[in-house]
Amino acid sequence: MLKDNSDISKELLEIIERYINGSMTTQELKDFNQLLELDDDFKIKVADIKTMLTGIETQSLKEQLDEFHEDIPKTFIKKSVDKTVRYLNLSKMAAAAAIIIAVGSIWFFSTPENEKLYTNYFKPDPGLPTTMSSTDNFDFYDAMVKYKHGDYNIAIEKWQALVERKPENDTLNYFLGVAHLANKNVIDAIPFLERTVQSKDTFPLINDAHYYLGLAYLKEGNTELARIHIGLSNTNDAKELILKLTD
Amino acid sequence: MGKSLHLLSQSELVFAIKSNESDVLKHFYTTNYKKIEVLILKNSGSVEHAKDIYQDAFITVWTHVKNDKFTPKNDTALQGYLYTIAKNKWTDVLRSKSFKNSKSLDYEALTFVKDEEQNKNEDLENNKLKIAMLAFKNLGQPCKQLLSTFYFDKKSLKDIASELQIEETTARNKKYRCMEKLRAMVLASK
Repeated sequence: MLKDNSDISKELLEIIERYINGSMTTQELKDFNQLLELDDDFKIKVADIKTMLTGIETQSLKEQLDEFHEDIPKTFIKKSVDKTVRYLNLSKMAAAAAIIIAVGSIWFFSTPENEKLYTNYFKPDPGLPTTMSSTDNFDFYDAMVKYKHGDYNIAIEKWQALVERKPENDTLNYFLGVAHLANKNVIDAIPFLERTVQSKDTFPLINDAHYYLGLAYLKEGNTELARIHIGLSNTNDAKELILKLTD
Repeated sequence: MGKSLHLLSQSELVFAIKSNESDVLKHFYTTNYKKIEVLILKNSGSVEHAKDIYQDAFITVWTHVKNDKFTPKNDTALQGYLYTIAKNKWTDVLRSKSFKNSKSLDYEALTFVKDEEQNKNEDLENNKLKIAMLAFKNLGQPCKQLLSTFYFDKKSLKDIASELQIEETTARNKKYRCMEKLRAMVLASK
């Protein structure tokens, strides 16, 4: 079949594959390595198979990338969020939970639909009350104060230092997410909010987390994911917004 | 609601990349593109340049993750790595003669740049890989489909067989014959 003398039987091919994908037992591996050392031709064969497998995978990936590319949301030209974010309302911070009253008036300018909805619905999370003086949480509340003052970069930096020690902490992940959002950095917000919503649903701000995550996806242009997360939130704004996303 | 869809920790992301989980790869791809597009557009590139460079960088990151050449150290390390690689690739293009001369980026310009910076050994390896990729690209569709499902999507022969409504042994034989075909093509182009 092959002009070369390098015939490889089906069984041998499968053994080589198991070597390459690391599914050999210790004993097999030992024998195989011995063979590799003894037989240079065999070594070349194995290397060639490995290259082929890498080639198959790489080419397969390459051919998928163009498909992926089509799903990248088109660039938004306007950054209309800028203003809204500044109106940080420091009024009563009820249980951090309840958010936002949607801006009623919808204007139909040239902004894309998603962007417009985002602008209408996004208000930074009001944050948690900072009257607590528990020393353990000093750093956390210290950052919260910064957050409430709109010093998002400082707040993020402080929380970031904490989350590195406690990567699983829902509250930290949540506030890092909303702080990135308030800081107009949707891309960095998403992973933190994702982590929050994947935690146990006993997290008290879970509804807000879904809501903000949905908004983030909306801003990113991923309406499908926006719909999923906003649909999972039971806040009033979420219920209102979901209706707009479904029609 | 795909819980696995979203790549939270970096180690999960690494694992998903290594297993070629399509949803995760897609998410990783689509969410990191914008920053690079902005960078390239701001630096005398076009949307097409951005796409080429980004895809090239994406494949590099994927390869490095697969081969454990890169292990993330913080929460956004992979994203940062992708950005850095794309940025470096773009810088190289900007510095390259062919880009300065023509201001248009063709495939040659890209390869030329790459070859310049790599040592001979890597070149040789790269060349072999290119041959394998090309051979696979030109392989007949049924074989291509089968091999891609097995080696890229990492589906079991059993699943493949049931999808194709054939016996598992038949699928196994087919896979072998396809590999032989591919090997013949690779050997022929050496």
